[in-house]
Amino acid sequence: MICIQDVVVEYGQPGKLPKRILNGVNLDIHPGEFISIVGQTGCGKSTLLRLVLAEEMPTRGQVLVEGSPRKQPDRRCGYVPQKYSLFPDRTVLENITFGLEVTEIGIFGGFSPARRVRRQEFRLEALGYLRRMGLRESDAVKYPHQLSGGMQQRVAIAQALIMRPKILLMDEAFSALDPGTRAGMQRLIKDLWRETGTTILFVTHNPREAVTLATRVIALGRTGADEDGANIVLNLAVPDSANDATIAGLIQRVEQTTFPGGGAESDEQTGAPEA
Amino acid sequence: MSILQIHAQPSRTTVWILSWFLFATGIVSYFWVSRGRHLENPDDRVMPTLRQMGQAFTDATLKPAEDDEVAANPDRQSLAAKIHSSMLWKDTMATGGRFLISMALLFPAVLLGLHMGMFPYVGSFFLRFVLFFDKIVALSLLPILFIAFGIDELAKVMLIVVGVAPTIILDAFNLTRGVPKEQIVKGFTLGAGDFSITYRIVFKQIWPRVLNSIRLNLKSVMLFLFAGEMIASQDGLAYRIALLRRHMGMDTIIPYVLWVALLLFLVDFGMRTLNRKLHPWFQEA
Repeated sequence: MICIQDVVVEYGQPGKLPKRILNGVNLDIHPGEFISIVGQTGCGKSTLLRLVLAEEMPTRGQVLVEGSPRKQPDRRCGYVPQKYSLFPDRTVLENITFGLEVTEIGIFGGFSPARRVRRQEFRLEALGYLRRMGLRESDAVKYPHQLSGGMQQRVAIAQALIMRPKILLMDEAFSALDPGTRAGMQRLIKDLWRETGTTILFVTHNPREAVTLATRVIALGRTGADEDGANIVLNLAVPDSANDATIAGLIQRVEQTTFPGGGAESDEQTGAPEA
Repeated sequence: MSILQIHAQPSRTTVWILSWFLFATGIVSYFWVSRGRHLENPDDRVMPTLRQMGQAFTDATLKPAEDDEVAANPDRQSLAAKIHSSMLWKDTMATGGRFLISMALLFPAVLLGLHMGMFPYVGSFFLRFVLFFDKIVALSLLPILFIAFGIDELAKVMLIVVGVAPTIILDAFNLTRGVPKEQIVKGFTLGAGDFSITYRIVFKQIWPRVLNSIRLNLKSVMLFLFAGEMIASQDGLAYRIALLRRHMGMDTIIPYVLWVALLLFLVDFGMRTLNRKLHPWFQEA
């Protein structure tokens, strides 16, 4: 589904030595996988996500989605960023139906009777998603600034899922939430993944969150000098039938690989659910 | 209790008194000095009395403009007809018309700023040029505009556009660039194309801020409009003020200045109210 081939990413200004972020990353992601990308701050997790999203192009190598490279983000990938995930000028319902409106109705086709019927269908579908996300129908008319952080992220997930993307990319989507809300969101996203079978790439800097959510954990880190850039230092499958002890062991392994000197987020901070 | 405390909490009455104090002081001072001058010289024209200003304003509002033919029975005209043929009405309409045309011409400036911010090629093409124009003192272009466009309406409107448009373009450009990248990426992932993102996501988000920017530039718009009217015009509020200056007509000039301030306040208030009604999310966020 996603094929990352020998990808190098460098940033730099003309005349200055470029700064290498990713150094020869190779990764294959299969349909229906739930991949957590974990690593320390600044190790290139979000860069890797942006490459898959096609928001950014690699300096060398290539990223193929369904066998072809892309020039800009498209609706095959849903996206839930940490911040600014909703359009502030639209209500919750308008945010969720935005994608359907823009792809099916367009700018100038909004007034014919057939369109009105279709718009009503969008509305009903969006309300269904709203309920599925644990929000009330009365929230549909609220603007994003009237919602809590957790509610905003729920709406953002609904907004992405209603487009039925093949891949859902989540960039530290829960990191700004309080532990309780975060645990609820983690349960929700896991349930949604089981229901929809969407391939999910979930960026986090928390090993416990990474292991408890994913079917595979990819840890990024630097093995050499800082200027060499990061690469995959751990590619760990999480067995579906793993018991608590196995999970604990995997978390420890990810922590030791990713944060060898300590400094991983504690469970209290993350609100990570029981496996 | 010190009045210079950051955490001070003045009562509503105190706030009301403080906010009107300077107005009251200014008005009382004016009439006190005016009274003294009129006691010394009953024909003083520099500081007219309230009665003189009231009379002059009534004349400007209810008497026909000087260039109009006097109606057959002016006393039997309705109040609306009197106002409609008055000097103040005609001047206000003339200035208002130019003002509205100028405001309408600022809309393409907003669109240009939006496209410059969204599309790198458009931005590269226009940005330096607009930055350069922004640094030109618009009033210094007045002679060139009069030579190029004549002394008709076009020159005055162009003066406003040249004076204010670069600021509005750059404001719209910066506001566009300020829209979080996540929103644009999100738009693409939801199936929107370049123009859908430009108009349905970015434009909608910057529009209330642009309206605010235009509102804050209203005074500049009026400044350029008045400069044009004072130098080359046959009607308009500024033309009248300049004309009356020659005759020391302070009894009309002062009410005219206050009338202009009132009009500008009403436009500002109207734009603020409209912005609040049209974009509740913006005011509350």
